[in-house]
Amino acid sequence: MKIRAIGNLLILAATVALSYGMQVSKPHYAELTAPIPIDGAMHDTVRARSFDVRLDKVVFARTLKTDQFGQTRVLTTSGLWAVVTTNLTATSTSTTVADGTWQGRTGLRYHQTERLSYRQDMPPHAVDPGLERNGLFVFEVPPDQIRGASLLVAARQFAPLDAQARISLDAVPTGADGQPAEILPQYDLDAAVPSVQGKS
Amino acid sequence: MFKTARSRFQTWITAGAGTIAALFVAGLMGAFGALPAHAPPQLPPDAAIDAGRWRVQSVRAYVSRAKVYGVPLKPGQKALVLEADMTNRTAQSDKAYFNVFAPDGLALPDGLPMIALTRDQTLTPELHPGMTERMAYVWPLAGDAIVPANLSFGITAEIFKPRDNLYGTPGWFNPTRLGTVTLPIADLPTDSLGTGS
Repeated sequence: MKIRAIGNLLILAATVALSYGMQVSKPHYAELTAPIPIDGAMHDTVRARSFDVRLDKVVFARTLKTDQFGQTRVLTTSGLWAVVTTNLTATSTSTTVADGTWQGRTGLRYHQTERLSYRQDMPPHAVDPGLERNGLFVFEVPPDQIRGASLLVAARQFAPLDAQARISLDAVPTGADGQPAEILPQYDLDAAVPSVQGKS
Repeated sequence: MFKTARSRFQTWITAGAGTIAALFVAGLMGAFGALPAHAPPQLPPDAAIDAGRWRVQSVRAYVSRAKVYGVPLKPGQKALVLEADMTNRTAQSDKAYFNVFAPDGLALPDGLPMIALTRDQTLTPELHPGMTERMAYVWPLAGDAIVPANLSFGITAEIFKPRDNLYGTPGWFNPTRLGTVTLPIADLPTDSLGTGS
């Protein structure tokens, strides 16, 4: 009788320990349903599930000039503007690529700016299979978040279990203080408009 | 001897359980609602305040009768404007700043304010981690509403939970009144206000 009671207690203790161990060690819901990263480097084509993306160019500027409804606007920022030019294609069917995030070295996530109104070369980018097009992603980032950063590109902002291209920005030239080697005083979004569709 | 001690112990337990049950029932029925409420503390108006995911510093407050920072007003309305420096303390871009400030004791026709970036009048942009921006909270008021010379604004903060109880995902929960800031309200004449561009 006594042995049986001790046995039951032992089984209970073992179950509690096992459950606690699983709770501590197993991945949680947020990690299980997170986007699936696909790593790549600048100038490489990164193949995500529904689109391919190649990061061509990163330009830093103090101000951003844009024409909006016939008016010229100069946008300032407390950090730097980072204008990222990418080359996008769809893999199998026409789709959109809508989400860009600048992730600093320590994991801070800077979502693409919402201060520009709709432009054809800004997200969401409509992409088609077999047709390459240029797509811009524009970010406001503090100067200390540039070295060691990476660019995250996904089809949608909240896309559990979908692919997310994670492109390392190590090839961006930076000075000894971590600041980018070249910062333009002003970047004109309309002067440098590349042909949107069909450029190969 | 032993038997007496045991029965005394049982008496204590029984009486204690009764007391606890009585307190519990009284609490359920709201008997403690009559206790003096904890007034939210006064916060210094000229210092930065950590309010959950935002670090806020109020700059100035005024009443405007003209369009302010691109926020249109209906005819006959005026607007209560609060300008504040806001810093995102979290690790990602966010725009959950609508409930951070709320003026006390004013009848607001539409509950939530319109919020504009004073830098270029963008309405409700996302603010990025660690990048301080000056934002203007604009509450439209009825044209004949009386705004006191010193108005207190309640500041609401949330707490961070690494895992919530439903999905186990990280997030900000449980908004609580952190305190109030009292600011003098200037009454701006119609034409003295900059467009803020």
